[in-house]
Amino acid sequence: MAKQTSSGAYNLPIKSADTSAAPGVFRFRSLLRFDAATGVMIGVSLVTAYLVLPPLYSVIQTSLFTTKLTGEIDEFTFRYYQDLIRELQVVGPFLNTIYFSAGSALFATLLGGSIAWVVTRTDTPLRGLGYFTAFASFGTPFILYTIGWLLLLGKAGPVNFWLKTILDQPGPVINIYSLWGMIFIESLLWSPFVFLMLAAAFRSMDPSLEEASAVCGARVWQTMRRVSLRLMLPAFFSVVLLIFIRSFESFEIPALVGLPGDIRVLTTSIYLDAQKLPPRYGSAGAFSVLLMFVVAGTLYLYFRVTREGDRFHTITGKGYRPALIHLGRWRYLAGAGLLAYALVLLVLPFLIILWASLLPFYMQPSIEALSRFTAKNYVTAIHFPKITDSIKNSILLGLGSASAVMALTLLASWLLVRTKMRGRWLLDLLTTLPLLFPGIVMGLAILRFYLFVPIPVYGTLWILLIAFVTRYIPYGIRYTHSGLLQLHKELEEAAYTAGATWSNCMRRIVLPLVTPSFLGGWAFIFLLSAKELSMSVLLVSPQTPVVSVAIFELWENAQVGELAAFGVIWTVILVSIAVIYYLFARRYGVQQS
Amino acid sequence: MSLVSQRLSAFCILFALGAGIGLVPSSAAATVEEIALMNRADRQKVLIEGAKKEGKISWYTTLIVDQVVRPVKDAFEKEYPFLQVEFFRGNAERLVQKMLAEYQAKRYDVDIIDGTVSPTMVRRAGYLQRFYSPVLAEYPADLKDPQGYWGTTNLYFFATGYNTKMVKLNEIPKTYEDLLNPRWKGQMMWSTSRGSGAPIFVGTILNTMGQEAGKTYLQRLKAQNIAKSTASNRQVLDLTIAGEYPLALQIFNHHAYISKTAGAPVDWMPHEPVTATIQTIALAKNSPHPHAAMLLIDFAMSEKGQKVFQQSNYLPSHPKVPAKQIDLKPGGGKFKRAYYINPDAQYDKGNEWVDYFNNVFVKQ
Repeated sequence: MAKQTSSGAYNLPIKSADTSAAPGVFRFRSLLRFDAATGVMIGVSLVTAYLVLPPLYSVIQTSLFTTKLTGEIDEFTFRYYQDLIRELQVVGPFLNTIYFSAGSALFATLLGGSIAWVVTRTDTPLRGLGYFTAFASFGTPFILYTIGWLLLLGKAGPVNFWLKTILDQPGPVINIYSLWGMIFIESLLWSPFVFLMLAAAFRSMDPSLEEASAVCGARVWQTMRRVSLRLMLPAFFSVVLLIFIRSFESFEIPALVGLPGDIRVLTTSIYLDAQKLPPRYGSAGAFSVLLMFVVAGTLYLYFRVTREGDRFHTITGKGYRPALIHLGRWRYLAGAGLLAYALVLLVLPFLIILWASLLPFYMQPSIEALSRFTAKNYVTAIHFPKITDSIKNSILLGLGSASAVMALTLLASWLLVRTKMRGRWLLDLLTTLPLLFPGIVMGLAILRFYLFVPIPVYGTLWILLIAFVTRYIPYGIRYTHSGLLQLHKELEEAAYTAGATWSNCMRRIVLPLVTPSFLGGWAFIFLLSAKELSMSVLLVSPQTPVVSVAIFELWENAQVGELAAFGVIWTVILVSIAVIYYLFARRYGVQQS
Repeated sequence: MSLVSQRLSAFCILFALGAGIGLVPSSAAATVEEIALMNRADRQKVLIEGAKKEGKISWYTTLIVDQVVRPVKDAFEKEYPFLQVEFFRGNAERLVQKMLAEYQAKRYDVDIIDGTVSPTMVRRAGYLQRFYSPVLAEYPADLKDPQGYWGTTNLYFFATGYNTKMVKLNEIPKTYEDLLNPRWKGQMMWSTSRGSGAPIFVGTILNTMGQEAGKTYLQRLKAQNIAKSTASNRQVLDLTIAGEYPLALQIFNHHAYISKTAGAPVDWMPHEPVTATIQTIALAKNSPHPHAAMLLIDFAMSEKGQKVFQQSNYLPSHPKVPAKQIDLKPGGGKFKRAYYINPDAQYDKGNEWVDYFNNVFVKQ
């Protein structure tokens, strides 16, 4: 193996990038820009603080006080923390939580990362399918997607039926109600997120580093392992952190998939214990405060690691256009992999949902069932009250929150990456915290805040917009942060040298170059907000219905078929938007790189 | 002359004022409490007059909009064409949280709130108004609040749902004891939902068998390894229809009936005494449209309104209105005894049942 030579080679260009940008140069170049930076810092910090601090205060307060039935604060208590600590001492659920979160983070990163690499960097056929699959899969309502998998892989589902027949086994072969089942579904759910983020990072890779590695005799795999993947450290960190945290505090999959198989995690215990009247959100609050400390520590460490951000710059002034790696015969295998991914992530669950939506009651796939096909569920779904208003509102909210979040976080990330202000990591922390707020606590915090503060947004779409923007800042920041880290500052410096103003530079240099990350994040947030549930249920008014609340109502009360019909309609709408968006993004995003 | 006319006009003004003052207490200036508790011959007339000025009603509901809220709204608006019913639908917890937060901020949007336990929560917070309705006299004591805080619109009865392809006729568990048959080990599922799942099953057992016998029974039931899900009991039943679990415990009997009529391989079997919960309806303390709200409460509980619930396949609570499918209610042929879980009991005892369920069935 040419290990020695290649390891020497990949270090070289990075080192040279390091020396080309002395730390002092930045501040010196333009005073004008410094003013802009300060102004942006103040503006961004104020907006972020305004959005994040009220719910943060509420979460901490919830964890430390008992409340009266009316919601008023009652007595100070450490009880929730004591309960939590007692819960943590029970080994089983705690370990399950760790296995589940780590497993999901790793598997999702591996899966989404591989697909991203194949799609962006190789000459595999059918690459466009990767994007389509990712966008389309976001469209399916989350709960429905999980139910789809339970029906597919359940004891009586078609997969077990076929496996039983093929392997000649008496009982079901796969047990979906297990830790592996949970990890499998959770990873699949998150893999499109990983894909979008890492695809953006892969696409912005400086090819010269990989070429240097190749020239030195390293193989494709070696180059990828020792050059490409290392350059993507910030992006990897972002996805692993986000998925780990989200899985750690996720509730739906553990409850629907784990609980029936007696796999308990921390959130299921907290949820089941919290089914009290009057409602107690203290345990959920204490849980998220604890997570905040963990995340704060992680972010601080991460900041220290990426402080020498120059190491990760891959877009420099030297021109970048990542070369496609020729996989030779392997490309057909890679293409088959893409097809399989689309099949598993999208086609199978969608088909089973479509199947369920056409039946008067759920039946396992069979010829006999075909004769029962009916459009009844669709009639019910279309007659759902205020359905057109709901769809219109949800789309408006998606557009608004995606644009607002991405604009805000692009500026925040620029501050984090470009300026040397002390305590920047606090801004990073602030923008990551909403990830940890329990949905119901955050929803209540925003509800109460705008009932008391004389800003007339209560009962309008604006309060939902504010809630969504706050909720999705953490995703925006991770997309823009990893995108900007790759961007070498010499490009901006060149612009300033040529006399550009700050806003000019942002508009004409930074924004176009981070377009892949920006658009990826935008799409992700748009689709997430269309599904948001825990806060929407509290914040909508009779005049502002949204789709996810309708889905929630169906989920709680309707038959699987009606829910499925609604889900199919909604998926088709979102996928149409996704296709339009994809065509648009390809025009402005992909062609540039 | 001028003096006379002046006096005359002054008299006229005084008269008008007096008339105005005389009119005001009878309608516009009446408090929500006065309107709610009004019990006199011309009650209906006064309510209609007041409601005409109010024009609308805001109803926070836990009922399913498509199945029953809209039919009730349509029937009511046909009866009182000058009124417009606006509704906000949510589950009990969210609904109450929203209303309490609004009341804390002195924002009084809601007129009527309903649910199996939500009105009780609001009442404990002090935000319900007692009311009188002539219709209440037609109801038995356990279906109305003695102090007049709530009435009832419909009932829910729980049963075991079974997949008719997987459970043979002679195997169908008929009693609570039958559920302990080793045949069902690992073959049953139930929902963890506080108000419509395992916890109220626990409550029924503890209250009807007695604490000791009940606990012994539940310990034995625990050994049956019942699968738990946070899904609603409707979804648990759907999983049984799909063949995942032959038995679904603690499901609504009318859900099984609706699926059975659609041709699904499912039926329901009651275990006596059958757990029952009651859907209560109540008036908000600072209802902004109290006349109209009282008209809607009257209507929902009246025989005419109860027929709307009946036609929507809900189980009417009015003793004279049978279920559309008669055997879904007690005395309809399939079961006789029901254990009605009073909303106050559910509120006060519910936490214990949840804890018991968690400790015995979840944490092992």
